[in-house]
Amino acid sequence: MLLRIAYSKLETAKYIAHLDLTRVFERAMRRAKIPMAYSEGFNPHPKIAFGSALAVAVEGEREYVDVELRQDMDIREVLGRLQEQLPSGIRLLEGSVVETGSKALMAVLNAASYLIRVPMALPIGPERLAEGMDAWLKREHIPFARYSKKGRTDKDIRPWVKRLTGSVEGDAVIVELEVEVGNSGSVRPEEVLASLRDLENLPFDLEALQIKRTGIYVHYEGQHYSPLDPDHKRGFRSEAR
Amino acid sequence: MSNTTTHIREQVERFLPKVLKPSRYLGAEWNSIHKDWDETDVHMVFAFPDVYEVGMSHLGTRILYHLVNSLPRFACERVFAPWVDMEEKMRARGIPLYALESFRPIRDFDVLGFTLQYEMSFSNILNMLDLAGIPLRTNERGQEDPWVIAGGPCAYNPEPLAPFIDFALLGESEEQLPEVLNLVAEQKKNPVSRREFLLKVAQVQGVYVPEFYQVDYQEDGRIAGIIAEPGVPKMVEKAIVKDLDTAFFPTNPIVPYMEIVHDRMMLEVMRGCSRGCRFCQAGMIYRPVRERSPETLLRQTEELVRSTGYGEISLTSLSSGDYSCIQPVVQEIVTKYSPERVGVSLPSLRIDSFDVKLAQEVQKVRKSGLTFAPEAGTQRLRDVINKGVTEENLMEATEAAFKAGWSSIKLYFMIGLPTETQEDLEGIVHLAKNVANLGNKLGRRNVNVTVSTSSFVPKSHTPFQWEPQERQASLEAKQKYLKEKLRDRRIKYNYHDASTSFLEAVFAKGDRRLADVLEHAFRAGCRFDGWSEHFRYDVWLESFRELGIDPSFYAHRALDYDDVLPWNHLESGVKKRFLMQEHFQALQEARTLDCRHNDCTGCGVCPDRGVQIDLKG
Repeated sequence: MLLRIAYSKLETAKYIAHLDLTRVFERAMRRAKIPMAYSEGFNPHPKIAFGSALAVAVEGEREYVDVELRQDMDIREVLGRLQEQLPSGIRLLEGSVVETGSKALMAVLNAASYLIRVPMALPIGPERLAEGMDAWLKREHIPFARYSKKGRTDKDIRPWVKRLTGSVEGDAVIVELEVEVGNSGSVRPEEVLASLRDLENLPFDLEALQIKRTGIYVHYEGQHYSPLDPDHKRGFRSEAR
Repeated sequence: MSNTTTHIREQVERFLPKVLKPSRYLGAEWNSIHKDWDETDVHMVFAFPDVYEVGMSHLGTRILYHLVNSLPRFACERVFAPWVDMEEKMRARGIPLYALESFRPIRDFDVLGFTLQYEMSFSNILNMLDLAGIPLRTNERGQEDPWVIAGGPCAYNPEPLAPFIDFALLGESEEQLPEVLNLVAEQKKNPVSRREFLLKVAQVQGVYVPEFYQVDYQEDGRIAGIIAEPGVPKMVEKAIVKDLDTAFFPTNPIVPYMEIVHDRMMLEVMRGCSRGCRFCQAGMIYRPVRERSPETLLRQTEELVRSTGYGEISLTSLSSGDYSCIQPVVQEIVTKYSPERVGVSLPSLRIDSFDVKLAQEVQKVRKSGLTFAPEAGTQRLRDVINKGVTEENLMEATEAAFKAGWSSIKLYFMIGLPTETQEDLEGIVHLAKNVANLGNKLGRRNVNVTVSTSSFVPKSHTPFQWEPQERQASLEAKQKYLKEKLRDRRIKYNYHDASTSFLEAVFAKGDRRLADVLEHAFRAGCRFDGWSEHFRYDVWLESFRELGIDPSFYAHRALDYDDVLPWNHLESGVKKRFLMQEHFQALQEARTLDCRHNDCTGCGVCPDRGVQIDLKG
């Protein structure tokens, strides 16, 4: 039985690294005596698959995970028993059975929204902020330098950004950001803010960012669907046609 | 007070996203215990002087953390050495070292207990004291500072740390530590002078208060004598748990979020090892052998699986293959838990008791390579160290392993052992090649033999404590020789850094005069010396030079049986007479047989200390 679960990852749970999250769920399931399904092969691992990774220290209000069980069980019972065994900060929101062999979360989730609080190094007014953001959004290409072991690569981050708004709240700016995510990559919220600071001279203090991912979606024809919503598959069907 | 903890937490959270592995510093793991400060009489913080993932892998730390917390009057929290990036940020912002559970500054605790697992973590102890804002030396501390105590294997010679610790706990702490904490509780309620308190603590079995022992030196640098003050034991003898089966063992251990070095359940099947390898300190200081009953172990396994959810259980001890009920216990655990995908692992397998069926049981759920430790390349040298295994044992064990489907074999050896010759080195090459050839002959493709050598470090309380360490240049030449001779695509060769082993020997056999060197090196920036990327050998040498102390005096000198050793007044229960006899036997290339199957060897632990070998099979 393949179970798709929506959960939040808040407070100190935001420091649990994505790579550690599989182990956290596996151990919680074993403590809860929920029979997990395992892969075949030399080193069997539990069939637990997450949606797009959440960076360390970024909270997630609604994230998704698929878990495969060896036998059918009542969903409410699974969620109830599992919740008791999860660290505080990880709350299960809802779950539903999806067809075995459904497309993986990684393959269907293609949009994400963020709420970011960024302190200002110098106070600015809402007009100045709106001006900067508009100017940034009007740019066709926005190269951003990424550094890795292989060296520097410049990437155009503009195409990934779907929506960007901001408001001034005390000595901080509250940014709402919506981005596209996909197999070919995405843009990180802190990259968008760094680019805004550098290109539009917005005085953001990037050292003390607070980022929350408010949702991650299946985006199709201007609509956001939850991967728990059976309608989320409409997009794939029409693509197939 | 809570203002401080909130402040620390806020400050730390501000930069935590920017340090490596933030999970190291958060302390809200599954099964961690957060006790109310005001409702407990004594607050202890257990300190492991290495990073979180190393410290959390240590069974003793887990046992004592849960033991102290199992007692209602006491609270125990944890602290580990912050990695260098974290330390830098803490120092830059003036954040003191804090305990993981409450984020309370370490200096607010009553007792700060370090575990001494490894000589190369000594500089981290000073660094942690400094980060905590606690004066390094006991004579600089005030009433407000915690009692700084230490235990673990290196506490059998804590002399290089003598000025920094108030007292050390020798031996097994399950009964001893609560006794000490009761005295601390009493001291908080009705305080007496520091000296009076320490005199009381010194009466507890295995408690050693360095400042009550006066060490005098001869002109040539050797120790002239160690004199105990009146009222404290002349000879401090370790504490022993008499009945391991009923001893405290935590079955609800902390389950970290991040991956740690030994990321699994640990089931302690027995304590002690009576094989009597002459280089091995653990084999001497944890005597006698005491086993847990299969019933106890199976009950503990059930509790562990339910409370942790781990997918692997390791049956740990110094030599788990020797546990008399190993076969039925492994069988039972595999049968009962393999449907839940819980696998069993054994940390080490002895070649002479290697049982391929057992190994296969263990591998049912997860597959890994097999590790054997012949320790020396020839029968002659294996007899010197009393290792006992033969080349036939090794070839039979590896043949069984290859036939059962393994293709990766790891072999551990030591170089620089007493009496080692060229022939013994050739023996290592010969064994490695024979194993690889056997694998090919048996049709294994991708035969893969990993040979690892460490350099012999003479340790206190062993028959080899009088032996010198071989000089670095010579050890390095041997490593180079092996590297060349083991050039074979089927064989991989690893070796330990000889300069690290040298400092290990210096501190393992060191005395109180090294404390100044340690402090100097720490002030010059030494820490994480066990991590090659942070080990600064030149700074260490400079510190020795600066203080006019010759490290070679400690590592390279052959000691006399009449010499007063720095640990002369500290006893593991194994008598000096026995160690001398074993040293003599070694030089005769004569074996001493395992007392669990043969006659008593007269080491002195039982029955003198009211204990005896306790086998359950």
